[in-house]
Amino acid sequence: MDFSVVSPQNLSQLRNAIRTLQRKPYRIGAGYTDLLMELRKSDTSDLTVINLAQINDNGLSHIKSLVNHVHIGAMVTATSICMNDDIARRFPTLQQAAANLASTQIRNVATIGGNLCTASPSGDMACAIVALKAHCVLMNVDGKKRVVPVVDFFTGPRTTCLKKNEFLYKIILPRNHKQTQHIHSGFIKVGTRNAMECSVVSLAYHIQVEESGYVIDAGIGIGASAPTIRFAEKAALNLIGKNMQNFTDENRNEFAKKVLTYASPISDVRATSWYRKEVLYNISKSVLV
Amino acid sequence: MEVSFNLNGEKVKCKINPTISLLELLREEMGLTGTKPGCNEGECGACTVLIDGISVNACLYPAINIHGKELVTIEGLVTAEGKLDEVQQAMVKHGAVQCGFCTSGMVMNIKAMQRNLEHAHHVPGENIRVQPDRKNIMKWLEGNLCRCTGYVKIIDAAEEVLNKNKI
Repeated sequence: MDFSVVSPQNLSQLRNAIRTLQRKPYRIGAGYTDLLMELRKSDTSDLTVINLAQINDNGLSHIKSLVNHVHIGAMVTATSICMNDDIARRFPTLQQAAANLASTQIRNVATIGGNLCTASPSGDMACAIVALKAHCVLMNVDGKKRVVPVVDFFTGPRTTCLKKNEFLYKIILPRNHKQTQHIHSGFIKVGTRNAMECSVVSLAYHIQVEESGYVIDAGIGIGASAPTIRFAEKAALNLIGKNMQNFTDENRNEFAKKVLTYASPISDVRATSWYRKEVLYNISKSVLV
Repeated sequence: MEVSFNLNGEKVKCKINPTISLLELLREEMGLTGTKPGCNEGECGACTVLIDGISVNACLYPAINIHGKELVTIEGLVTAEGKLDEVQQAMVKHGAVQCGFCTSGMVMNIKAMQRNLEHAHHVPGENIRVQPDRKNIMKWLEGNLCRCTGYVKIIDAAEEVLNKNKI
């Protein structure tokens, strides 16, 4: 490997580094769990890696619990998400997605920003972030911010809406509604083995229920089922106004069918398209227990 | 590029090529071969080391980022008098070592779990402590592969040492 490395120490140095590389190939390195592997396999002679690991910036590396939102910096690791009380209590889908990603050693360095920017259709934390209807805050070289809904952040397999002069700064999760008394929230990951597995199909759900048992808000994200992670909007809307305690088999089938309309999976070494659809249908039904 | 860091309790400084991994730095530049190269892809955990107390795969960690950090490798667990660390002693007692290739990575990751038990509640907002039962130990060690498949004895050793000083 013969790439060069720049290690900005703060945000303004980072913006300058990106500015000076506008006409050259560069990659941003955060946790390096995917990037180092990729660099070892490719010609890197003309490449610069912008190393984020030494930047000291709270916005980039902290979880901030606010009244209406939770801000998660792009450099926050999967372990920090797993260990955060606020996220574990109020956004279990994200906590479970982070806890089931790869292994302890990988979670200790892998960042949520990296999981999103890699834009893999099977990204675990990214799938939960979609179900939570989060927004991404992008910053450009002039320090100007742009906020995009996470579903619009993904434009295809491994591509995002990030421009060459921008980077992902943080993720904003909206708080659950005040009327929400109970959350039915989780992350289902189906793979060919338990540990260190890339999802064959994944489903993130975050359903907010008021005191009387009626659903007031719902978010459903599906992974490894389409070119990008998708928000199953019709399936989520279908749940609103229904009572969590009285789901019938008919409701479950209707919901699963609606989820499936968002799936267009490929066949690859890990599973066939047919298998992925069958699994997605069945795990969707299992959400409405 | 020059990096300075704390290695097994001692301050060190070295000039490195900025593209090498921490594993290459340890084994090839510093001669510390206790950290094992297995898959070199972050799958097997044989190269696990502790950076600021948390377990990391050295094969996927750029050596430049060790600057300013505290690094502990398997060589750092033995005392000056040559006494083994309690995790190592438990591994010996339970016969948890077969070919030995995964052992240093296993020991370092069990050490990281022990540290989580002792320190988790000191970090603001991150006060979730992982209980050292068998299920959680297996989950914690899921990124350490033993191809002799001697997992039962390794987990026995971890369970004993992690429950020794129950808080």
